[in-house]
Amino acid sequence: MAIRIDPENNETRALFDMVDFSGQNVLEIGCGDGRLTWRYADKAAHVTAIEPATKLIAQAREDLPSQLQDHIEFQDIAFAEFAAASAPSAFDIVILSWSLC
Amino acid sequence: MVHALEEIHRLLKPTGMLIDIHPVAEASPIEIHHGGKIDLAGNLSVRQWLTDYQQADIALAEITQRGLFAIERESVFDSLTHYESVEEMRTSLKEAIAKFAREVVQSADEAVPQVEALAERAEELMQALVSGAELIVRERTHISRLRAIR
Repeated sequence: MAIRIDPENNETRALFDMVDFSGQNVLEIGCGDGRLTWRYADKAAHVTAIEPATKLIAQAREDLPSQLQDHIEFQDIAFAEFAAASAPSAFDIVILSWSLC
Repeated sequence: MVHALEEIHRLLKPTGMLIDIHPVAEASPIEIHHGGKIDLAGNLSVRQWLTDYQQADIALAEITQRGLFAIERESVFDSLTHYESVEEMRTSLKEAIAKFAREVVQSADEAVPQVEALAERAEELMQALVSGAELIVRERTHISRLRAIR
């Protein structure tokens, strides 16, 4: 299988047109296999990326580039659980990425 | 989804921002690109998905009306998914439908035959073309930046 999603980078362009990630603490909800995460994570101070689908988050961890290991923390968890365990006012940016909670 | 947006508001720092990305609630063209031309195999329109996208729009409107967030910017872009073969598209779309059908009380009975019909049409068109044709599903996608208000 060689499905290519947005090789034109239309989504990345739209995202960078909206957000300056420099030095920001980011939460990405529904990160899937990390497809979007890779595109901005190097600019952020830290990214917490959550995804309830075990298979997808395993793929994201496997594909995590070594230079981003200090930037990204993947969690295999649903948003409701994550939110219940999280302190308020923790993030500068939340990305709700193709994720209808 | 409104409760999730309330939780996101709580997790954001004061004046933090939410970026929401989700497809526009409309049918997605299935295109065959070849030699600078585009043939349309049909439009994919899964009712439950469209309903979900509309509900996402309604939830975002509700939380902005309640004053939790203010929309600062919005735009729409095309997200293109490229498939190497009709079989690859058929399998991928049917998997996506099966996944949502497990999570939502709605039968995939109407969606799967639609995918089959579109795949058959795409196959006919692809067979009539020389090699190098690309199969693409085009999804109009909405992105918005919302500022948390305290």
